[in-house]
Amino acid sequence: MSGVGKSTVWAGLGASVPLILGYLPIAFSFGVAATRSGMSGAEALALSVIMYSGAAQFLAVALIAAGVPVVVAVATLAGMALRHLLYGPTLLRQAGDAASARWGAVWGFGLTDEVFGAALGELARGRRFSEPYMLGLAAGAYGAWLAGTVAGAWAGGGALEAWPAVNAGLGFMLPALFLALLLSLLTRAQVPVIVVAGAVTVAVTLVWSGTAGLLAGMVAGALVGGRGRAD
Amino acid sequence: MVVLALAVGALTWAFRALPLRMSLHAVRPDTRLGRFLAATGPAAIGTLFVAAVLPYVRGDSGEAVPLVAGVAAVLGLYFWRRSVVLATLGGAVFYGIAQFLTGV
Repeated sequence: MSGVGKSTVWAGLGASVPLILGYLPIAFSFGVAATRSGMSGAEALALSVIMYSGAAQFLAVALIAAGVPVVVAVATLAGMALRHLLYGPTLLRQAGDAASARWGAVWGFGLTDEVFGAALGELARGRRFSEPYMLGLAAGAYGAWLAGTVAGAWAGGGALEAWPAVNAGLGFMLPALFLALLLSLLTRAQVPVIVVAGAVTVAVTLVWSGTAGLLAGMVAGALVGGRGRAD
Repeated sequence: MVVLALAVGALTWAFRALPLRMSLHAVRPDTRLGRFLAATGPAAIGTLFVAAVLPYVRGDSGEAVPLVAGVAAVLGLYFWRRSVVLATLGGAVFYGIAQFLTGV
């Protein structure tokens, strides 16, 4: 536990810096995409405030623009969010004796893919779990997401058209973030888990859909981990 | 739009926050469930990375050179400084530069 400092809300905010840097351009892109599709800036911000789910928000914009019925859109987007069911229990198990979720209804709102990955990485490096820390981590990321959305919506739909290389670099921010988070979690014992998760994701995505691929990949990888020896 | 946002927002919150009430932290790590939960994190992040990079590999979002440059930069910077921030930003910068140089 020593060497990583106290798990205060400020420490959580500090640990959210990578997420802030990763979220700002992605949220900016979302703001741009939303206004490009015809939404107002307020509508784009409302999606970020209420949904706070990156990939699902991009898909929501596409579904709304395509005029898909609300029931179908909700079912599709809820299916995308199913993967989050595993995050809380996994995090609390990793937290061990320090596990607590008294305020889980609050900081749990911010338990996105990246917040989950960052928290898991910190715990793996010896960070003691605390709810204030989780609140700080989640709040930093959420604030960046909202700020990025506002900036993107304000800049407008054509903001990045004159800067294709910048646009491309911003677009690559998410894969880069996931790869860096993956490297921070990587151990020899988890290699088969990651290989199977990736292979199943590709296969199911190609033959069915990206959403099904996400869920199938996570479950398949975790099942491989469940069959193997403890790390 | 508001109905959609509220419904999906409520479900997403429920999927994230309600499982925190499950007392799974007491699960022993040497059990099958314990190993399953321990593997969930790497499996999830691995899956998300593959899903994010798949459009690039399929050629939907660019060509091979920027992708190789971006991935190599993330790997190199991470193993050099062990920093998620630096690796993420460096990967994006190198991807953008490669995109600019190759004129894709």
